[in-house]
Amino acid sequence: MIEWISSKRVAPYVFIAPVIILGLLFFAVPLSYSAYISLTDWDSMSTPQWVGLKNYSYLLTEDSFFFSSLVNTFYFAFGMMALSVPIALTVAYVISRSRYQEFWRALYWLPMITNTVAVAYIWKFILSDSSGLLNRTLDVLGLPGPNWLTSPSLSMFSVVVVAVWVSLGHNILLFAAGLNDIDESYYEAGKLDGAHPLQMFWHVTIPLLRPTILFVMITNFITALSSFALMLVLTEGGPVRSTTVTGLYLYEMAFADLRLGRASAAAFVLFVLILLISLAQLRLFRRGGVVAY
Amino acid sequence: MAKRRAASLGVLGVISVVATLPIPAAAAAPTIITVAAHYNSKQVKPLLDCFRTYEAGHPGTRIKYQQASYSDFLQTILTSRASRSSADIYNIYSVWAPQLISAGALDPPPPDVVSFVKSGYDTAAVDAATLNGRLYGIPTALSIYQLVYNKKLLAAAGFRTAPKTWKDVRRVGAAVTRTNRQGNILVGGFAFGPSAANVVHVFYSQMYAAGVPPYARDLRSTNLKSRAAVQILRQQAELFRDRITSNSISVRDFAAGAVGMAVMANWQKDTLRSAFGDAFEDTVGVAPIPTDGPGGTMFYSFFWSVDSGSRVKRQSWDLLKWLNTAQTAGGLSCTGQMLAGMGDLTGNTRDLAGMERSLADPFSQRYLAALKSRGAMTQPNLWRQAEADRVLQYYIERAWAGTMTPAAALTAADARIQAILDEQPATKGSRSTSRNLKVGAAE
Repeated sequence: MIEWISSKRVAPYVFIAPVIILGLLFFAVPLSYSAYISLTDWDSMSTPQWVGLKNYSYLLTEDSFFFSSLVNTFYFAFGMMALSVPIALTVAYVISRSRYQEFWRALYWLPMITNTVAVAYIWKFILSDSSGLLNRTLDVLGLPGPNWLTSPSLSMFSVVVVAVWVSLGHNILLFAAGLNDIDESYYEAGKLDGAHPLQMFWHVTIPLLRPTILFVMITNFITALSSFALMLVLTEGGPVRSTTVTGLYLYEMAFADLRLGRASAAAFVLFVLILLISLAQLRLFRRGGVVAY
Repeated sequence: MAKRRAASLGVLGVISVVATLPIPAAAAAPTIITVAAHYNSKQVKPLLDCFRTYEAGHPGTRIKYQQASYSDFLQTILTSRASRSSADIYNIYSVWAPQLISAGALDPPPPDVVSFVKSGYDTAAVDAATLNGRLYGIPTALSIYQLVYNKKLLAAAGFRTAPKTWKDVRRVGAAVTRTNRQGNILVGGFAFGPSAANVVHVFYSQMYAAGVPPYARDLRSTNLKSRAAVQILRQQAELFRDRITSNSISVRDFAAGAVGMAVMANWQKDTLRSAFGDAFEDTVGVAPIPTDGPGGTMFYSFFWSVDSGSRVKRQSWDLLKWLNTAQTAGGLSCTGQMLAGMGDLTGNTRDLAGMERSLADPFSQRYLAALKSRGAMTQPNLWRQAEADRVLQYYIERAWAGTMTPAAALTAADARIQAILDEQPATKGSRSTSRNLKVGAAE
C-alpha cells in the first residue's frame, strides 16, 4: 500500500489531494450551489422556488439600482487602478534609487497593515465637510471646502483616493521586487548611450516591468471590483447611492432584502464581467510582449 | 481463535448492557432557553437579573442571552436558523414579521399567552404583532416620532417655541443655521439622515401628520403620489435648497449641539441625556410633528417571539409570560423594567401605567402624550418593508439633491414599491392598524 502511494504515478496526486479537496469543498461546491440559487427565488428560510433566468433578466433589464451599482463599481475599480499604479510605480522607482530603502518601504506598507475600518474612520475625520482636517487647511489658505463625502458627484472620487492610499504599500512592494529584478547592465547601457533618467525610466524600466505592471493592474482591479468595506464605513453607500458598489448592493439584496436568488445572480454577472475584463487585460499585455502571468 | 471470539462477544455484551442503562447525568440535563435581542449588556441588565431569579424558581432551567447588533439582527436569525443553532426567543422588529411568518419561522403562541396579550396590551401594540388575524408574540418596546429641538439654539435665534407648521420650520431653521466661510454648515437648522429611518420614518411621520397614511389600508398600494406626499417632499427639498440642512449634517449631530431641529424617536432620550448631562431639560425640547394637516405621527414596535424550530417552545412561552408579568403588586414586569431604564415606551398597559413616574420628565411626557393621541399610527407590517424603505430613501434623496422633482421622485418610488407589493402572496398581507393608545389597567 505504502509503496503504491509513494509510487511516481500516485504520489503527486496524494500531495495535491488536500488542495483539491479543500478547493472542491470551499470553492466548487459553494459556486455550484450559488449558480443553482441564482436560478431560484429564495429568502434563506423557505424552499427555493425555481424561476429560471428571471433573476438575470430582472437585473439586466429592470433594476436601475444594479446598473448604477455596476457603474459605481467600475468607476471605483478603474479610478483606483488609474491612480494607484502610476503613483505606486513612481514611488517605488524613487525608493529604489534612494538611501534607506527598507525604511521607506516599511513606511508605505503601514496603511496596508492597518485595519480598513480604522483607516476609513480616520479619513472620515479628515474629509468631513465643516470640521475635517482637509477643509480646515483649505480654509486657512482661503480656498473653498468641497463636500468630499456628502456630495453625490464627489463622494466616489474621495473613496477612490482613500483606497489608493490604502493599497499603495502593497503595490510599491510588488513594483520594488520587479525593479530589483531588472539587471543593472540595462541602465549602464542606457547611460553609455546618453539617456537621461526619464528616458531610462520610460524606455528601460517600463518595458522590463510590464509583467509586474500587468500583475498589479489585474490584482488591483479584481480586488477593487469585490470591495465594499470602505464605502460601508465612509459613506454607507450614499449619498443618493453614489457609492453603492455591486458588492454592497449584493449584501443589501441578500441580507437586508432576503433575495438570495437575485443576489447570487448579481454575483455571477459581476463574476463574468471581471473574467472578461481580466482576459481583455491579459490579451492587451500579451500583444505588448508580456507572456508571463 | 474460539477463545478470542468468545472474549470479544463478552466485551460487546457488557457494552450493550451498559449502553442501555439510564445515564444519571443525562436525566439531570438542564432545559436551556436562549434569548436573542439587540439590547447591549447595560440595557439588558434588568432582564438578566430576572433570568437568574427565574432560574432559581425553576430548577433545571437555564437561560442564555445572545446579543446581536440591531443592523445585523435579522441576518443573525437567518444564519443561525440555516445552521440549526437559532435562539429559542427573539425580540423582533414588527416589520420583519411578514417574511419570518411567511417562511414559518415564528411559532404562534398557545391560547393562554394569546389571552394574556389581548387582555394586558393595547390594541395597536397587539396588532403590530398580529398577521392574518393571528398573534405571533408579546409586544415590547414602542418607539414614536416627534420633533426634537434645541431650546438654546432656537432661543438664540429669537424663538421661544417650537414651530407648528413646515413653513415655520423653514423660518426658524433659516435663523438657526450657521455656516463657515466656505459655506459649509456648522449648525444646521434641521437635520435628516443618515439612516433610512432618519429619512423614511420622518417622511412617514409627516404623512401621518398630514392625515394621509403612506400605504393603503390593505397594504397593496401606496399613497406616495398623493398631493400631501409631494408637498411634504417639496418642503423637505426646500430646506436643502435654502442650505438650512445638507447631507453633511445628520440627526447624530443633534447631540453635539450642531442641529436646531430633527424628527427623532423616543429611544434617543438616553443618548441625548448622556450628551447634554445636567443641561438636558434646559436644552432639549419635544413638540408635535409640524404640519398643516390634522396632526399625528408614526410609531413602530418590537415583540418577543418564539422560533418555530425551538425544542423548548412551551417553556419559552412560559418564560416570556413570566418576564412580562409584574412580580410585585404595582411593580413593573422584567421587560418593563428594562424598557423604563432605557426611556422606552411599551404596549403593556400595566407597565405603561407603572412607568408614569419614571416617564415624568417633560421629554418623556411629550412622547407619552403623542402615543396616547388619536393621531399616533402604528407602522404597518408591510411586505418587504426594508426594501421599500430603501427605494423610497433613494428617491427622497434625489429630490433633496435636486436631480428629480418631488413629484417625479415619488412617482418613480411608487412604481418600484408597487412592484415589490405586487409580489406579496395573497394570504400573507398584514393589517394596517391605527388607533389611540389606552393607558391603564387591563380590561
